[in-house]
Amino acid sequence: MRELPLAKAINEGLRAAMLADSSVMLMGEDIAQLGGVFRVTEGLQEQFGPSRVVDTPLAEAGIVGTAIGLAMRGYKPVCEIQFDGFVYPAFDQIVTQLAKLTSRHEGTQAFPVVIRIPYGGHIGAIEHHQESPEAYFAHTAGLRVISPATPHDAYWMIQDAIASSDPVIFLEPKSRYWHKGQVDVEVPGLAMNQAEIARVGRDVTLIGHGAAVAMMQQAADIAEGEGISIEVINLRSLSPLDMDTVMESVRKTTRAVVVQESPGNASLGSEVAATLAEQAFYVMQAPVLRVSGFNAPFPPAGLESIYLPDTDRILDAVDRSMAY
Amino acid sequence: MPYTDATLSLLAPDGTLVTNDRNEMYHQAISHLGEADFREFYRVMRVVRRFDIEAGNLQRQGQMALWVPSIGQEGAQVGSAFATRSQDHIFPAYREHAVGYIRGLDLINIIRMLRGVTHGGWNPKETNNFHLYTLVIGSHTLHATGYAMGIGFDGACSTGALEEDQAVLVYFGDGATSQGDTNEAMVFAQSYQTPQVFFLQNNHWAISVPVRVQSRTPLFERAAGFGLPSIQIDGNDVLMSYAATRLSMDAARSGQGPHFIEALTYRIGAHTTSDDPTKYRDEDELAFWQARDPIDRFRTYLTSLGVEQAFFDQVEVEAEDHASDIRARTMALESPPASEIFAHVFTDDHAGITAEAAWLEEYLASFEEGSS
Amino acid sequence: MADFTFPLPDVGEGLTEAEIVSWHVKPGDPIAVNQVVCEIETAKSLVELPSPFSGVVKELLVAEGDTVQVGSPIISVTGEGADEPAAPDTGVTEAVSDTTASVSSEGDSGKVANLVGYGAGDDHATSRRRRYARATPAETPATVPSAPVSAPVAQAMPIIAKPPIRKLAKDLGVDLASVLPTGVAGEILREDVVRQAEQATVFKNIETPAWPENREDRIPVKGVRKAIANAMVKSMFSAPHVSVFVDVDATRTMDFVKRLKASPDFAGIKVSPLLVMVKAMIWAVQRNPTVNSTWTDEEILVHHYVNLGVAAATPRGLIVPNVKEAHTLSLRELAMALEKLTVTARDGKTTPEEMSGGTITITNLGSFGVDTGTPILNPGEVTIVALGTIKPKPWIVEGEVRSRMVTTVAASFDHRVVDGDVASRFVADVASVMEEPALLLD
Repeated sequence: MRELPLAKAINEGLRAAMLADSSVMLMGEDIAQLGGVFRVTEGLQEQFGPSRVVDTPLAEAGIVGTAIGLAMRGYKPVCEIQFDGFVYPAFDQIVTQLAKLTSRHEGTQAFPVVIRIPYGGHIGAIEHHQESPEAYFAHTAGLRVISPATPHDAYWMIQDAIASSDPVIFLEPKSRYWHKGQVDVEVPGLAMNQAEIARVGRDVTLIGHGAAVAMMQQAADIAEGEGISIEVINLRSLSPLDMDTVMESVRKTTRAVVVQESPGNASLGSEVAATLAEQAFYVMQAPVLRVSGFNAPFPPAGLESIYLPDTDRILDAVDRSMAY
Repeated sequence: MPYTDATLSLLAPDGTLVTNDRNEMYHQAISHLGEADFREFYRVMRVVRRFDIEAGNLQRQGQMALWVPSIGQEGAQVGSAFATRSQDHIFPAYREHAVGYIRGLDLINIIRMLRGVTHGGWNPKETNNFHLYTLVIGSHTLHATGYAMGIGFDGACSTGALEEDQAVLVYFGDGATSQGDTNEAMVFAQSYQTPQVFFLQNNHWAISVPVRVQSRTPLFERAAGFGLPSIQIDGNDVLMSYAATRLSMDAARSGQGPHFIEALTYRIGAHTTSDDPTKYRDEDELAFWQARDPIDRFRTYLTSLGVEQAFFDQVEVEAEDHASDIRARTMALESPPASEIFAHVFTDDHAGITAEAAWLEEYLASFEEGSS
Repeated sequence: MADFTFPLPDVGEGLTEAEIVSWHVKPGDPIAVNQVVCEIETAKSLVELPSPFSGVVKELLVAEGDTVQVGSPIISVTGEGADEPAAPDTGVTEAVSDTTASVSSEGDSGKVANLVGYGAGDDHATSRRRRYARATPAETPATVPSAPVSAPVAQAMPIIAKPPIRKLAKDLGVDLASVLPTGVAGEILREDVVRQAEQATVFKNIETPAWPENREDRIPVKGVRKAIANAMVKSMFSAPHVSVFVDVDATRTMDFVKRLKASPDFAGIKVSPLLVMVKAMIWAVQRNPTVNSTWTDEEILVHHYVNLGVAAATPRGLIVPNVKEAHTLSLRELAMALEKLTVTARDGKTTPEEMSGGTITITNLGSFGVDTGTPILNPGEVTIVALGTIKPKPWIVEGEVRSRMVTTVAASFDHRVVDGDVASRFVADVASVMEEPALLLD
């Protein structure tokens, strides 16, 4: 057992993966000597050398495009996109190429490329440094999309992502980078595609991923003081969604609220809600409610705390669900 | 040595003028400037640098999440900005604080952006067409090219009237030259022969990535490969910066197509206040460039022209006053109201926005303490 | 002169803490704005912190080597402040930090305001403003609880009900847990909820009232009450009543009812075990005609038509309207006629003509949750059948004890007309249909 901040847990996970498999390499802007703007790759070039930890030119499309070529050659590239808002120059390579290549090659080749993206708000950042783009990727078949919420998740899920034969979008909640947690480096966590019941409850199920998990836990603490028992699900895997775990919870509580930083329109939360409406129709006492960012561009940092779901907004949705 | 045989300059790092065959036309280009202009160059460089240091301190005091220093690049920015004409359009990246100042931008607006009050901060129509900062690297180069294409389609250039023909000046850094958008911008510019100057401030670093990772050849040669007339200058020489920009912009506005200037300079500070250059740069390199500071050498030159000490002292006072005023106004900045989230998402009405804005207003009002 | 404290800022976009590496000042030192006070180490780098204040250092609030959370005060300075024009005065000594732009800075007094944009710490996520108590969107349901005779369904069984049914139950004040579902998939249907609600309204005294203060209430005997009394007396004390009972396994009837409900032919039509029993009665009448007669001292009029009376509870009391020519109706037509009869009676709109000319009657004790009873004949008739509750009971099936849906078929007869053998055969016939509705295909 070790207590590690989430950024360091990913660092250790990358190290373990690189030790286990010499075809694993890292590429991105400022990841080598600087160790990444969030220090997630700190010390790795020193340990594994400049041909396995590579600083790239400033070109996101170039990073993903060349990673695809490297994967064709037999490498397992782990790309870092420096911030969520900068993934869009690479979007074409990700959705028209990486997502489709396995299928285009009719299964004769695998494309084990991991794309690590720090995402999400709550750090008071400037434009393009606080977004939650998971829906674009979950919407695209051929990509696996996962997001750790805790250091223990992070340590094991990055290794799972690297070991996967499929392209994986690995969304790292940057507001949680410096939060510490217990990491069991001997015993892995749940499988990559599994959701976790992060807190057991009776009355309402809160569903979310990444940084939202901590926020939901805080809301649940407050609700407990008011006599409402909340069950919290950490989705971990956004594509595929672990609906078995979600359904089991919702059958018990009969009420569900999805929490996400991203805007709600056509979001991952919309997919969870629609699927629950279909699968849990007879069970649910209230419609699935979504607590999301507003459908406006992410605002300047001074308005971030209003824009992003907070415990009050979550508990407001819990109240509305309970009132049905 | 970052300088090459191609590097053009008018003022050496020691503050003395340089004359040779290659730079004669550039001396010509500044021959209409007088001591009053030079004092103004110095004053602006000094005021903006002092402002920059103050902003960095304010960030360290918790008044901004981030500050983006431009220290060391004043020569490149001030010279080029003064060389533009009032009818020109300027597309900055995100570090051109001095250029904004010269075009009439109140620098508090840059602080407003980094303090989380706005993502924009000014109206280009009110800042002599100094457009907003673009934080995604290189994206704005295409916007600049498109704007310049529009000037061409409108026939607002190439009439021979220098005071009226419009041109576009676009700033970007060495990192941006790797982005597809920037290269596409040059392709389009060349194809449409836009009245446009690409001004590259090669400050040698893209956060921690040195320029040699972006390119193995001098960057001005890449533009030449696209077909743009292209020069490399000592960007810390404010006179050269002025001259190169003056000639290139006037050529571009007169129908000679897009031009490219690579200004060699150095990012004395960090990429932003979140960065730590001690992790990847060495002291010798920093010292090399500190010895080539644009303000120091220009002060030496002005002194050699007979400019009195009292002038320099007075500029210091002005710089201090400006910095204090910025400090005071920064502390007084307030967050925008919640309704700003929805205020300008669309130009025309949008049902989803209207409904959500109403929901938020009602939600905030439902608290016992009232809405914030 | 006031004291100002400098809270540790987040200098690197999302940092939560930093270590104080070295102090560059000590208490008593004069200090100017922007003068470096200390060096800190964050997860990203070493950073020098410049003072926001001018004045004299009062106290170093943390020591070298301490790890400090973002937002914690690190140094206090006695001085003029931050050289700015009058900032909004919140009365808190941390005046400088209060003028930050963050919305979240409006903390409680005594709590250090968050600096601009610092959201990565856990502090910001706690609810500082408890939400206003909001009225629930749905109207509070009527306080009528569900009828006491129904036992709540066991906790282990999930309640399966579509949203509109849930809403109906809420509107009618019915507890879904106590409703017996009759849907094909085990779901609670609209009529199940309505039935439960009706039981509640039929039983007017759901709550136990306090003993009245007066010794007696005097209710005049008139109107419907007088009519009912007269009919009961006339019937009871002119016709010698005999009642016969048989228990029957009605599982197949319940299955048949379910399938009828799912059938497109019966879409929108109320189908219940009562319908089957009515059909059974008509069939049994065909086989035992004398039960469908009228005694007139000189003659027994055996009717070769069936005007089937259904005892209906109304707001004013018990009435017995009848379905005319019931023997000519198809199952579907019969179902519709029964529904119409019930609704009309509940609305109090039954006409005298609808209440006369009946030849045989059924009374549904099961809707009250009662197993069986000894009904009193409707005057002019010689047979009345009682349908009781149909509920799971142990039954012997192929030599083994199984849970089956069992009911008691009861009937009272006028022994002047119907002897024991006829009575028994009639009741047996009705019961045999309840056991095997396919006999109606005869």
